[in-house]
Amino acid sequence: MVAAKKTKKTHESINNRLALVMKSGKYTLGYKTVLKSLRSSKGKLIIIANNCPPLRKSEIEYYAMLCKVGVHHYNGNNVDLGTACGKYFRVCCLSIIDPGDSDIIKSMPGDH
Amino acid sequence: MVKILKPNKAVIVLQGRYAGRKAVIVKSFDDGTRDRPYGHCLVAGIKKYPSKVIRKDSAKKTAKKSRVKCFVKLVNYQHLMPTRYTLDVDLKDTVTVDALQTKDKKVATCKTIKQRMEERFKTGKSRWFFTKLRF
Repeated sequence: MVAAKKTKKTHESINNRLALVMKSGKYTLGYKTVLKSLRSSKGKLIIIANNCPPLRKSEIEYYAMLCKVGVHHYNGNNVDLGTACGKYFRVCCLSIIDPGDSDIIKSMPGDH
Repeated sequence: MVKILKPNKAVIVLQGRYAGRKAVIVKSFDDGTRDRPYGHCLVAGIKKYPSKVIRKDSAKKTAKKSRVKCFVKLVNYQHLMPTRYTLDVDLKDTVTVDALQTKDKKVATCKTIKQRMEERFKTGKSRWFFTKLRF
């Protein structure tokens, strides 16, 4: 019960931070661009939805491991992640290139 | 935030005739060139892996089984899967882009790569690189 409450609060804070990144920072949405951002070492944080296909999830995690970039497993599916980004489409994975005013990079990479 | 597609990195080719083969990056062109306006790199890879050598084999047989057939190719970054392995073989001087212009230059380059790779295989190091990827 306590664990559920804790995840709800941190979940909201991720959404807030993500909204701030959408407003003030640079990001890319989608698998192809996430890999591109990792290859060019521009990505700073990767967020993956929970219904991402496991092979794709492992691939992104492997790339991120090679690049030493944090991966955050979003507590929600691609529909929820799309909504959290303020978009009207589904987003399975996204890469934050420049966090802008947000502190998402400093506070998030702790959890995996 | 660490650049991953660097020279000496072992990669797996994902598309094309050499799909599933392991290769090593010799030179990378992050911003592309005039002819190829995308990120790509020059790789030297294994076309035909060396067979398994057992203790029973005679010297002639081990020599025959340890042969490696190589290829040189310019590959788009999108068609490569980087791995955590590296292969420290000095190919920078022999493998260049103009080796791909004519067929005989390509064959000569592949011969030198073959020699270097075979001697690396015989030392027993980089064993992962010379095993076939099963899929």
